[in-house]
Amino acid sequence: MTNSSSIITDVNAHPTQDSSAGPDTYDLECRNILKTFDGGFTAVDNVSFQIPKGSFFSILGPSGCGKTTLLRMLAGFEKPTSGDIFIKGQSVTNTPPNKRPVNMVFQHLALFPTMTVAENIAYGLRQRKVAKHEIGDRVKGVLQRVGLPDSGNKNIAQLSGGQKQRIAIARCLVLNPDVLLLDEPLGALDLKLREHMKIELKQLQEEFGTTFVYITHDQSEALVMSDQVAVMNHGAFVQQGTPHDLYYHPKDAFVAGFVGESNRWMGRISSQSANGLEITTDSGLGLHGVSGENQSFNNGDKVEIFVRPEAISLVRGQGDSNNSNQLACHVVNVLFDGAKSQILVKDPQSNGEVTVSMPQTADFENLRKGELLSLSWTTEQTRCYRVEG
Amino acid sequence: MIPSIPHSRLFRTTYASYVVLFFLYLAAPLIVVGTFAFNDSLFPSLPWKGATLDWFFGSEQPKLGLFQDDPILKSILVSFFIASCTTVLSLLLATCNAFLFEREQFPGKNLLYILMLMPLVIPGVILGVSILVFSSSIANWFEMNFGWELDFLYPSTTLVILGQFAFISTICTLIVSARLRKFDLSLEEAALNLGATKWGAIWTITLPFLKPALIGAGIVSFLMSFENFNTTLMLVGSDAPLTIAMFDRLREGATPVLNAISLMLMVASSILAIISLLMDKKSPTT
Amino acid sequence: MSLRTPKLRLGLLLLLTPMLLWLLLLIILPHVNMAIISLSERVSAGEYAFSLSNYAEFFTESLYWNTFLRTATMSILVTFLTLIIAFPVSYYIAKMLRGRTKGLVFALCLIPFWVSELVRTYGWMILLRETGVVSSSLQWLGLTDGPIEFLYNDAAIIVGLVYTSMLFMVVPLTTTLDSLDDSYIEAGYDLGGNGFTVMREVVIPHAMPGIVSGCIVVFMLTLGNYLTPALLGGKDSLWFTEQIFTQFITRFNWEQGSAFGILLLFLSSFIVWLGLKLSRQSFTRVMS
Repeated sequence: MTNSSSIITDVNAHPTQDSSAGPDTYDLECRNILKTFDGGFTAVDNVSFQIPKGSFFSILGPSGCGKTTLLRMLAGFEKPTSGDIFIKGQSVTNTPPNKRPVNMVFQHLALFPTMTVAENIAYGLRQRKVAKHEIGDRVKGVLQRVGLPDSGNKNIAQLSGGQKQRIAIARCLVLNPDVLLLDEPLGALDLKLREHMKIELKQLQEEFGTTFVYITHDQSEALVMSDQVAVMNHGAFVQQGTPHDLYYHPKDAFVAGFVGESNRWMGRISSQSANGLEITTDSGLGLHGVSGENQSFNNGDKVEIFVRPEAISLVRGQGDSNNSNQLACHVVNVLFDGAKSQILVKDPQSNGEVTVSMPQTADFENLRKGELLSLSWTTEQTRCYRVEG
Repeated sequence: MIPSIPHSRLFRTTYASYVVLFFLYLAAPLIVVGTFAFNDSLFPSLPWKGATLDWFFGSEQPKLGLFQDDPILKSILVSFFIASCTTVLSLLLATCNAFLFEREQFPGKNLLYILMLMPLVIPGVILGVSILVFSSSIANWFEMNFGWELDFLYPSTTLVILGQFAFISTICTLIVSARLRKFDLSLEEAALNLGATKWGAIWTITLPFLKPALIGAGIVSFLMSFENFNTTLMLVGSDAPLTIAMFDRLREGATPVLNAISLMLMVASSILAIISLLMDKKSPTT
Repeated sequence: MSLRTPKLRLGLLLLLTPMLLWLLLLIILPHVNMAIISLSERVSAGEYAFSLSNYAEFFTESLYWNTFLRTATMSILVTFLTLIIAFPVSYYIAKMLRGRTKGLVFALCLIPFWVSELVRTYGWMILLRETGVVSSSLQWLGLTDGPIEFLYNDAAIIVGLVYTSMLFMVVPLTTTLDSLDDSYIEAGYDLGGNGFTVMREVVIPHAMPGIVSGCIVVFMLTLGNYLTPALLGGKDSLWFTEQIFTQFITRFNWEQGSAFGILLLFLSSFIVWLGLKLSRQSFTRVMS
């Protein structure tokens, strides 16, 4: 299984905070990671990134985009076809998983059912031949820090979903890993607990100061917790940046559509000026918009247009506004969801449906089906992206 | 026909009585065997001549009790030895097989799996004679060509162990494989991730997970070996195990001492059965 | 795991070796050897020649093939009876009982399995013999004047064989029936079915793997049984395994005995194959 003959380094001697090793401000660095499987399928396509020390880094992508393969390569369960992985400036590409200074929280947590909570947490310390009394102290310490000081003697089956989550993290953090990898650990939890654990994970990360690499397909998890998010699609990083960047300045149509909600139209550029673009949608609407990041167009180019539901202003009945895009619509349905309520409307001109955030004012409380609404939004909030092919 | 669907009282009573009758049928021979162990008569039959413990502790003919009957006691020891060897061999092979069939991919795996199941559909008598004939052939060949006398290849305790091992290991393999199939591979990956070696991970995580199945399979194989008759009959040498010794006595004409042995067997089996059932309940799931 | 280094293949070899040794030395070679011996004839001391005479003997001697056919038909009958008796019981345990009672009753079913077949058969002998419990009870009740011998006939053999096989039918049946969710049966009734149609169209198709696996195991065990026919059937039980035993152990005619063994093996494989074909089940699925 592991080619142990090539590994002479001591487990305990993995590169710790060694400031003399040059530019080790990056806890984790990947250079041109490529992974192809038998049969020619490329799971990870030439991915490079650097993660600064102590940050919360998320990799966000739809299922099948290669993010799990990438994470398993970081943990050592898969070997990159080419490229290099560095942890604190040292290459670990040929290091087997049990000698890497990274630990992983598995998707289904993988807590050992045959052991108690304390035995689970002590497992990694025992593998490192840490002295017995020290193991006891460290287990106690980490249990305290994750807020479950009295759970040491419990069986795994006795824990709740959230407690299991914390024990799985404690089992890794007790080893002081350079990087903690998390493989969608919140996926199995119910909605309410998931919301709670998002905050808790972020707090744990800040408290321990460990670098977290978190993969998920849930954009809200990535946006809430991360310092940096990389959006992945078809094995490649599409865009990397802060959550704010991704949401407000998506680089292409995929990111614009994947991060956050949007209304979308397909259309063609009809004219360009200093004030922006004029676009005619395929359904016949005329819109004013701006080009997305780093995009430039010729007249007649095919584009995809994105407008976020919360960017649209509403007036009941007929109304005018200064916004450059205006649309009179009829209410189709009210999707009530408390603060996240939305209104589904249909514009009679093109027969297309548009989703609008419901303003949280008393004015819109008694909205009825079929009622006339005037929608408007600015040029800046109408982003156009090239459609390839 | 489930409780949530109404049925007539008559139907329910008839059905329940049928099940009760079935259990009477199951219990009848066992109760009879147990009861006549205490009959103060030379034959295990009615009329009832009063209760006695002679068939357990009696020290004189004709009422020689089980615990004074040296041939029987010796045959129990032989059975114990055979069952222990068979169990150890079967568990070792079953564990290897479970990893082989659940973890490895290799050409011809399906064919090999079907061949592994074959002993289940080979009648015990045939399995016994085929091994008898084969081992005798080998022994004869060695004697003719080298002058070696390989006595253990003729009917003997060794041959009985091999014969029982041939089919009991299949049953153990099925039990252990079923448990290994439920094992979440990410547990082993987690162990590697926490610094264990591949062998360390199997030793500290996978084998403890398999423990309930290994104990259960061990009990099943011990009992199957202890009680096996068909295969053993063909391969037995001069040291008769318990079932063969009892069979010979039965043919000579039974005395209640056989009932006494049977009762002891039932008690011992029940204890093992209860242990294995408890094992089943306790086994944690992933 | 994609870390396929040469060491991993060594692991495969280590796992494969004991398996192959066991399979070759204890299963395959003995049976091949037996097949070869069955096709040979002793010409003079220590000299053997190829011959079909052992098989010819089987077909010309009516006692042999009569016993053979009798064993086969009675085994099928026993299998069928076991299925008919066991199914309602398994259904009762799996579907009518709940929680602790269910576990307890199921465990109760298993008890006779833990007791040696010899002991069970011995119990039936005590019950059925001329001086046995059944005969004495009938006399005591005044239903008969003299003692009756219930032992040493076909009915006694069948009772014993059904009893011995029962567990191997109840366990797979109960397991598969237990895995059928109640809601399927409720849906069957809800859509207008009655007890009979729900049983035929919902329950039995679901239980088919269990039924087939139970039938195969029971048939094999019955066909290969030696103890029960010998003890309950007495001298005239005419069970084929007794012929094999006689040839090997009493007459020391290994060539003839091997031929009988191969014939029995063919018979059992054929009937198992037929059963699988008719029920459209796969061997590996049914057996594990």
